[in-house]
Amino acid sequence: MPEWGGGRTTLEMIVQELQRPVNFDETFERRVMVRVRRLHAERRSRGWIAIASRITHRPGWAAALAASVVAIVTLGLVRSRPDVSAQHGAAPLEPVQFVLVAPTAHSVAVVGDFNDWGLNDSALVATNHEGVWSVTAPVPAGVHRYAFLVNGKQWVADPSAPRATDDDFGMPSSALVVEDSTR
Amino acid sequence: MNRSARAVSALFLAAAAFAPAHAQDPRLGNPLDAPSRTAILALIDSAKAQGIPTEPLVQKVNQGVAMGVDGPRIVAAVRTLTREMATAHRALGTVASADEIQAAASAVHAGVPAVELGKIKKQSGLRRSLTLPFTVLADIVSRGVPVEAGVNAIRSMVGAGAKDADINNFQRNVSGDIEKGAPPAAAAETRAKAVPNKPDSSKPEQQL
Repeated sequence: MPEWGGGRTTLEMIVQELQRPVNFDETFERRVMVRVRRLHAERRSRGWIAIASRITHRPGWAAALAASVVAIVTLGLVRSRPDVSAQHGAAPLEPVQFVLVAPTAHSVAVVGDFNDWGLNDSALVATNHEGVWSVTAPVPAGVHRYAFLVNGKQWVADPSAPRATDDDFGMPSSALVVEDSTR
Repeated sequence: MNRSARAVSALFLAAAAFAPAHAQDPRLGNPLDAPSRTAILALIDSAKAQGIPTEPLVQKVNQGVAMGVDGPRIVAAVRTLTREMATAHRALGTVASADEIQAAASAVHAGVPAVELGKIKKQSGLRRSLTLPFTVLADIVSRGVPVEAGVNAIRSMVGAGAKDADINNFQRNVSGDIEKGAPPAAAAETRAKAVPNKPDSSKPEQQL
């Protein structure tokens, strides 16, 4: 069950909304019946256009639909945002330095599951210090897979890190366990 | 807002909440062909139903796409990872974290029987995270350390209360020893014996 602010699940929010009491005044039933009869008469005389027109003139319905559309769009944006911390729950970010000695390389980047493997131009670009390439970036606490991308095409595992054994694609990668410093 | 309008609003919210998360996830391999995408979505739904973490599956897809791998091969990799995580999940039980399950799955992939991982988890208790020990176990087994020797080394270190930093150094030392020609089993057994005596060591020891 997805959770949003305050740890409340969406189902709990929906249930709470539906359980909220509705107060009817004494004339409610009579007003409803008047409107039903009028609606029935209009439908017979003008067809479905009349109903559509009637619905758009009711602020309650309009507000409900607008709120629903806003909620869906907002939830969709929140859930689909490629945010690193969102991908790994509420794991805190810890600074990690990636280093690769590659004296002949023209460029080195770091890609891994913490930046969607560099898709959408999210690769970490390392800087060159006389052949020692490095970049430091915040990475969520937890277990990760990553690799260096040398010259934009050669996949290289980190020689100083444990191997990622499930390199099913024939290109090496490494495993990284980032400790949560707040624990 | 009257009751009807509220119900409509609630239904819209419910529809948004219960729609599969991956249906809105733009990270999920858009370049994939339709059959591969369908197969992967089914695997992710299956994993979700089993209580298996799905983020590693999504990232496996991204890894394959980034590496330029074709759809069927990505599907095969995701299927394998799903199976291995399910195996690890069953072995570790419900107390295991998502990270532990993923790390244990990599050990299973390297050839470690899941039952051995379950024993280590049982031995270590609830508070000790086994994410790093399982990651190191997978690594040393993939470097040629026999499964039994690797499991014994990790079990002895965890049992002795070794910290993650010590086990990290153990991995570096063992891989360094193997690269220099040491027999993998001997390297693991020897280095594991040294770890409990130096619980707070922060640098790799001198090579054998």
